[in-house]
Order: sequence, then structure tokens, then C-alpha cells
Amino acid sequence: MNIDAIKDLAYKMADDQLIIGHRHSEWIGLGPLLEEDIAFASKAQDKVGQSLAFYKLLEALGGQDPDTLAFGRTAAGFHNAIFAELPNGEFDFSIIRHFLFDTAEFIRFEMLAASAYQGFSNLGKKFKGEVQYHILHANEWLQQLGNSDDKTIARMQNTLDYALPYALGVFEPSKWEEALLAEGIFAGERELQARWEERVHAALKQTGLTLPSLTTVEPVYGGRYGQHSEHLQPLLDEMGEVINSEPGAEW
Amino acid sequence: MIALLDPRLKRLSLQKDDLPAKENLDQLPTYEVFVQVKEPRPFKHEGCVHASTPTMALVFAKEQYSRRGTCSGIWVVATKDIMVTGYSDNATDIYGRFTETANCQGDEYSIFHMVKRGTQHSFAGVVKAASPQAALACAGKTLPRKKPVLNVWLTKTANILKTTEEDKAMWATTPEKLFREAIDYKTQEKIKAFKENH
Amino acid sequence: MYGGGYLFEKTSLDLLADEDQEKLAEFEARIDRGEKIEPHDWMPKLYRRQLIRMIEQHAHSEIIGALPEGTWITRAPGFKRKLGLMAKVQDEVGHAQLLYSAAETLGKSREEMIDDLLSGRSKYSNIFNYPAYTWADSCFISWLVDAGAIVNQVANSKGSYGPYCRALERICIEEAFHLKFGHHAVTWLATGTPKQKKMMQEALNRWWYPMLQFFGPPDKESAHSEVLMRWKVKILSNDETRQQWLDMYVPKIWELGLTIPDDKLKKNEETGKWEYTEPDWDEFVKVINGDGPCNKERLAVRKTAEKRGEWVRKAILATSPSKEYVTPLA
Ligand SMILES: [Fe+2]
Ligand SMILES: [Fe+2]
Ligand SMILES: [Fe+2]
Repeated sequence: MNIDAIKDLAYKMADDQLIIGHRHSEWIGLGPLLEEDIAFASKAQDKVGQSLAFYKLLEALGGQDPDTLAFGRTAAGFHNAIFAELPNGEFDFSIIRHFLFDTAEFIRFEMLAASAYQGFSNLGKKFKGEVQYHILHANEWLQQLGNSDDKTIARMQNTLDYALPYALGVFEPSKWEEALLAEGIFAGERELQARWEERVHAALKQTGLTLPSLTTVEPVYGGRYGQHSEHLQPLLDEMGEVINSEPGAEW
Repeated sequence: MIALLDPRLKRLSLQKDDLPAKENLDQLPTYEVFVQVKEPRPFKHEGCVHASTPTMALVFAKEQYSRRGTCSGIWVVATKDIMVTGYSDNATDIYGRFTETANCQGDEYSIFHMVKRGTQHSFAGVVKAASPQAALACAGKTLPRKKPVLNVWLTKTANILKTTEEDKAMWATTPEKLFREAIDYKTQEKIKAFKENH
Repeated sequence: MYGGGYLFEKTSLDLLADEDQEKLAEFEARIDRGEKIEPHDWMPKLYRRQLIRMIEQHAHSEIIGALPEGTWITRAPGFKRKLGLMAKVQDEVGHAQLLYSAAETLGKSREEMIDDLLSGRSKYSNIFNYPAYTWADSCFISWLVDAGAIVNQVANSKGSYGPYCRALERICIEEAFHLKFGHHAVTWLATGTPKQKKMMQEALNRWWYPMLQFFGPPDKESAHSEVLMRWKVKILSNDETRQQWLDMYVPKIWELGLTIPDDKLKKNEETGKWEYTEPDWDEFVKVINGDGPCNKERLAVRKTAEKRGEWVRKAILATSPSKEYVTPLA
């Protein structure tokens, strides 16, 4: 099988989960109600745990150990979508991002479960239930905030409009799209985006929010191949501050 | 104030002044949570969550009451929809107080028993009845029990939101999250080696 | 987590004189038999008030206690520590949730309690008003502050109020993980490189005296009424919990090659009690009353969370099919 194509996709998945997991973890102890703190903390752990599984897969393919992979690269070496690295902002952005991002994530895991590459199909099946919970959580918040009073709906709509270009950036064309398709490793970013649009549309239809025509939205690409926003490097510095302060030490 | 140490907080602007007194406290209603650790054990009361809808209550309950070990299902019921009897004295069955003859037909009620002070209520079964009072009388007649029951909770079954068969996948990886368990943090070997070198 | 430094109201026994003496006798007999009191039972007003106060302080200490360790969540070194610390701090927030619920069964709503915390009307454990300067401070808290909390929580789980005991039983199971996680992290630092070792020792030096204060003032100075012990609201005295903690953890600290910043610290083999230099109890009073290094920050953070979350709570309350709040059951 095409190992480079597999690695490219595995890096995307691993980096996406790691970075958004760190963003989620910024809510721990600071959320709008205690129960939501706890829920967000679990999602953060799930995401970071999923990233670890993909780094282990990369290690097995000849890469470095997960801690070095995760905490030893600079922004230019990261493959996450820019969407994942944006600061949390207020709760509306965190929820809108969580909904748009995890809907894509859920479909990606479904597609991986059907992969001809066993490393992927195992992980796709393994994490399906975790992401199912994330979707339940995201959709319930979307339904409640998206059907609340006019002021809240307007706030959510604003945030949705702001988030969409970044959300589309998740589906940045892959250099390996044809190889992944040809070998049945992954059904591809285009297919993923098409299924995502369907589900996002269906969920939003049950709220007071409207999905603008996506053909008019200019996607923010670059993250998949190391072109990041100004927010990623400071976050990486923070994540690596302690572990990189004493090279070779065990923590 | 000393300089902020948490980078997460440096990204926020902190509220230094007192908040204005609230006219109304934003107090959400509560839902009581019952958890089944594994089949076929009974659903047991674990506590409550504050939430705005039954689905939100389920979402919250899952991570507050089943984030370790196994779980095969959760039920949530709005606290206001549960009726509570008094407590009987030890060794006397509370159902002795509800002996009127009743017609055991009508809505379905779910019944929860406490058999010892200090312990949680467990699901005991369902009965059909036309009123809560009748449900207690019917439960007393039909529900099997090994020990005297001290206290009963009951609610119409229709008030309970239950996780589905499909939802069970959400707990698939929970037992594997060893980083939440004491067993994953062993120190003996490390300390032994340290002592030998010193 | 919480220490023995609970602040009780001055027990005005007048309140007791007003009570129905027959019911009071029944209530006390039940406690003497070792049975739990449940929410819908009759109970003296004084019992209800002191319990609300104690459980509420405990709950506040859990959410405020999530902040010093939270300082290190985004910087925890490596996957194992990151996952462990997130789970640990999450548990502390979970403990607050459980404890507020237990206090709510006595008739005070969670929002009222949080309001009392934010306005400074209600207290929390002094130890969380100290800063976590380095990763090692966070490790000290996870291991040794939690160890102190466990001594207290295990004792209190044998108390008389059913919902509080049940909450504490759940909490103690999770604390076993906190203790091991913390011990593991401290062990790796103490047995690591010279730089790591130094970092750990410095953290220990900073936290030692606040830790001794954590259990509350010496028994001879804290006049807790005998009635709270009789009603099994308070189970162990401050000195008892402090001695238990010293007995269990001083040897474990020494075993890691760390030193304790007190030349006088030793176990008196005759009395079986630890002797130590008293921490500064004036400082303790100052910190409890709001004048510690981080008091203002801790409350400012909670107020920030409250303010940022306000629109969210209002928005979901607006759509809630039922807004009726009734007292949780158990
Ligand atoms: Fe705790
Ligand atoms: Fe704690
Ligand atoms: Fe703890």
C-alpha cells in the first residue's frame, strides 16, 4: 500500500485531534455550568486519546515516539486544519466549531472504518462510539442555542458565518487523494465534504439558523501542509514548555 | 494580585469587579439519574444533573456518572416528576401503609426502592395503575422483594428518558481509559531502583 | 478536596431549645444506632444549617481547587501527564457537582451557593489561595494536598447524613486515582534529573506550611462544639487528621530523597505523635479572610466564568420545557 498516502492522512487525523483536544481542555474548570465543564473535559480527553492512537500508528510505520511527534515539531510541520487551532473565543464559537468539526470527524471515522488499510479500519471502528457521543453533545447544544430567543439565534448565526470558511478548510484537497481512493484506503476529502454538507444542512434545518450557499464561501486552506494562522505556534510553545525544558528527561 | 500563571487565563480578560446582584438566579431544573453498570443489574440512582432538557440531562449524566468502568444504560427523569413516600422504620415494609384495594390498570409507573438508609434507590419494576396512590398499592401486591422496603420513589414510565440500544456504543472505550485509573500509575519499580542507587 | 479548616457557625444552643424534644431524642437515637439521616427526615435546624455550611464549603473548595492545577493543563509534559491531569481536574469539578447536589437536598439551591461564593459570603479551603508556579507545584497538589483531603473525606464518609456520605464514597474512589497519579508524577521528578529534582524540592518547600494549615488550627484553639461530633457532622478533629497525614506521608516523602523544611519535625516514639514547627496561624486567618496571594485571582476567575456563561444559561433556560426548580431527591 501507499505508505506516504497513509502517513499523510494519519498526520492530519493525529494533529487535528491533538490541537482541538488542547483547545477543548481550556474549558476545564471555566465552563458555563459545572456539568458542561465535565462534558467538555471528557471530549478533550477523548480527542487527545485519539491523537495518541494515530501517533502510535505513525510510530509503528517508522516514526518517532508519540511524545516527540506531538511536542517536538514546529507549526510548519503540523497538518491540522486551521479551524482546530483558532482560540476558543466564547462558548458560541466553541459549540459551533465543535458541531462543524465533529460532524466531519464522525464521517471521517465512518469512512476509515471501511478502509482497506487495517490500521485505519481498526481505529475507525474503535472510536466510532466516542465520536457518536460528541455528536450527540454538539447537536443538543446546537438545537438549544439555535432555537432560543432572537438575540441568541442572531449571535449563533454570526458565529456560524464566521466559522464556515475555516470549516471548509478541513476538506483541503489532499496530495494523495487519488492514491487513497485507488487503493480503497479512504474515500477522499471530496466525498467527505459532500456527506458533511448533507448532515450539517439537516441539523441546521431544525434550528433557527440558516446555512448560506457554500459555493459562495471561500475556504481557508493551508493547514494541511504547514501554512498556519498566527495562533498555532504560541499554542505549540505552551504545550511543549515543560517537556522541552529538559531534553531527555522523563516526566 | 500576583501575575496570572495560567496561560488559559491570560487569554481572557478577568472580571476584577464585583458582578451586579442578580435579579433572578439562573437556576436550571434538575434531573435524577439512574445508571445500569451492566446487564442485567438494576438501574440505580446515582445523583442529579442540572439541565434544561431531558436530552441535555442524558448528555451530562453520561460523563458525570459513567466515565469509568462499564455502563449499559442511563435513565433520566425530571426531579419534579418523581413522587416520594415517607420512610418506614427499620424492618417494617413501607407497603404496609398502602393496602387499599386498587384496580391495577391504567398508566405504567416505574418503581424504585430503598432497602437500607444510606443506600441508593434501585429500580424494582413497573406496575399499571390509574393514580400514584393506586400504583403504590399495586406495587405492594406484585413487586417481589427480599427485604422490607423503607422508601419508594415512583414516576410514570413515560417521564423517563432512556438511552437506546444504539447509544451503548458510546461506552465502548470507557473501560480502556486507564489514564483515569489508579492502576495505571505504578511507582514501586522506580522507587526501588532509586533507593538501590542511593 | 477539602481540609479540616471548616468554619462552622457559632453553635447557638438556643436553636436547640426550640426544637421538639421528642423528635430530637429520636433523631439522636437514630444517629447513635449508626443509621443515616435522609433528606426527608425530621432534623434539627442547627444540624441542617451546619451541614449546608460544611458541604457547601467543601464544594467551593473543589471548584476553586480545580484552578491551581488547571494552571498546568495546557502545559502538562507529554501524553500520560496531559491525559491524567485533565481527568484529575475534571474529577474535582465533578466532586463540586456531587457536593453541591448533596447540599441542595438540604434546601439551598446551587445558584444561591455559587452566588455566596462569588460575593465572598462563603468560604473555601485556604490552600488554594497559593500559586502553582511550576509543574512541580501541580504535582505536589495532586499527591499531597489530595492525600490530606482523603484523610478527611474518608472520615466524613462515616458521618450521619446519607447524601453527603454517598457523594463522599464516590469521591473517595476517584481520589485513589488522584493520589496515585500525583505520587507517580512526584516520583518521576524526585528521581529525575538534578533540574527536575530541584524543581520538586522547591515546590515542597513552598507548600509545606500551607499544607500543615490545611487541616485547620490546633484543637486547643478551635472550639468546635461537642454537638457536631455527637451528630457525626464532624468526625475527626483537626489534629487527628494532621497526625494521620504526617504518619502516612512523611516517610513516603523522605523515601524519595526529598527533605522537609522543618528541623524540628520528628515522630515522638513515646507519644506516637509527630512534633513539628507550627505554621503561622495568623497568616492562616488572614488568608481565610480573603488576603492570601491568590484569593482575589481565584474569585476573579470564578466571576469571569460566571459572567461568560450567563448568556448561555439564560438562553437554555428560555427554551427549557420546564423551568421549575425543586429540591433534588437524594
Ligand atoms: Fe476532590
Ligand atoms: Fe481534591
Ligand atoms: Fe482529588
